[in-house]
Order: sequence, then C-alpha cells, then structure tokens
Amino acid sequence: MHTSTKKWLFLKCSSLILIPLMVWFTINLVSIYQADHKEVINFFTHQPSKILFSLFIVFAYFFSALTISEIFEDYINDEKIKNVANKLLYIFAILIPLLTIIGIYNLS
Amino acid sequence: MQYKNNPLSPHLQIYKWQISSLLSIAHRIIGVINILAITLICIWTSSLFFGEENYEITKLFLNSFFGKFILISLCWTFSFHILNEIRHLAWDAGYGFDLKVAKITGVLAFFGSFILAIIFYLIGKNIF
Repeated sequence: MHTSTKKWLFLKCSSLILIPLMVWFTINLVSIYQADHKEVINFFTHQPSKILFSLFIVFAYFFSALTISEIFEDYINDEKIKNVANKLLYIFAILIPLLTIIGIYNLS
Repeated sequence: MQYKNNPLSPHLQIYKWQISSLLSIAHRIIGVINILAITLICIWTSSLFFGEENYEITKLFLNSFFGKFILISLCWTFSFHILNEIRHLAWDAGYGFDLKVAKITGVLAFFGSFILAIIFYLIGKNIF
C-alpha cells in the first residue's frame, strides 16, 4: 500500500473514532470546568472517564499530527524546514499525551 | 516521485470567497485551535498535581469572564469540527459531492455548530 494511502486511511479511521470521544469530552468538560479540585481529580481518576480521556488525547494528537503535516506539505516549500517542522510535530504529538496519561495514572 | 517539485497550495488571498473554501480554511484553522486548546487542557490536568491550594488560582481563572468565554468558544470550535468532519467523512464515502448539496451541508455544518454547542453546554450543565 502506498504511504499516502496509509496516511489517508489512518486519518479517516482516527477521525471516525475521535468524533464520539469529542462529543463525550465536550459535554464532560462543561460539567467539570468550574468544579472543585476534588471533583476534577475524581473525574480524571475514575473509570470510564480515565480511559476515555486517555483515548481522546491519544487520537486527538494522532489526528492533529497527520492533518498539520498536510498543512506543512501544502504551504512549506523548503524541504529541510518541512522535515524539522514535521519531526517537532511528531515529538510534540507523542510527548504531550504520554506525559498527560502518566500524570493521570499517578493522580489516584 | 519527486516531492521536491510538488506545487504548493495557492495562498489564501488568491481564492474567491465562497462557502466551500471558507469552511475548508476554517476547518484547518479551527483544527489547529482545537489541538492548542487540548494542550491547555493537558496542562490543566497537570495543575491538579500541585494540590488544592494552588488549584484555587486555576479555578479563579476558570470562573472568570475570560474563562467562561474560553469554555463556550471551545464548545463551538469542537462542535464545528465534529460536524465538518462528518461532512468530510460523507464525501469520503461518496455522498454529498453535488455542488448544491455541498453548499447546503456547508451552511448546515456552520449554523448547526452553534446549535450543537448550545446543546453540549446545556447537557454539560445538566439543564436537559
């Protein structure tokens, strides 16, 4: 399979998974936004919100990395700058969710 | 394949504004805003580590007018992205390519995002 086809398939599968997770998270964000420290910790440390939030950020960063790399492809001409931008983007997309998930799992 | 010589997309000022191009550009910009917002949410979860007393500062900000404005804005940006992404998935499945249908779904996605944002807010606040 061509790399671009694989990328397109990953993009579409992740967006399909992301839609219900985004609906779930938006509703819950409204309900916990102004809550106390204890309630917010309860939300992030109890199931199913713990696993759903982890999945949400993993898929959100995965999807974003793929779509933002498309923006780089469309608007950055210089190959070196594009490669650096893509590498930084992928590092960012791995590190942020990883650190957040480790943090959440250590909260409880 | 020579990726080096791939043509770039025309810059934004070259387009004649219409609903399809407007939504396409908005979809990309809002996608970037959303991931920045999710990054802030990740930082917010990290702030929980610093204890209840330190969280009061975060809570003060979240309860401010600006904090509420951010929350409502996020409801809309997430809603817009959800509806426009459904539109893109329908295109990928081969539906809605007709110019007239594409324009109608574009308008529906734009105005529907405001309604969906209100619904998310009301459900989140347990008003429904």
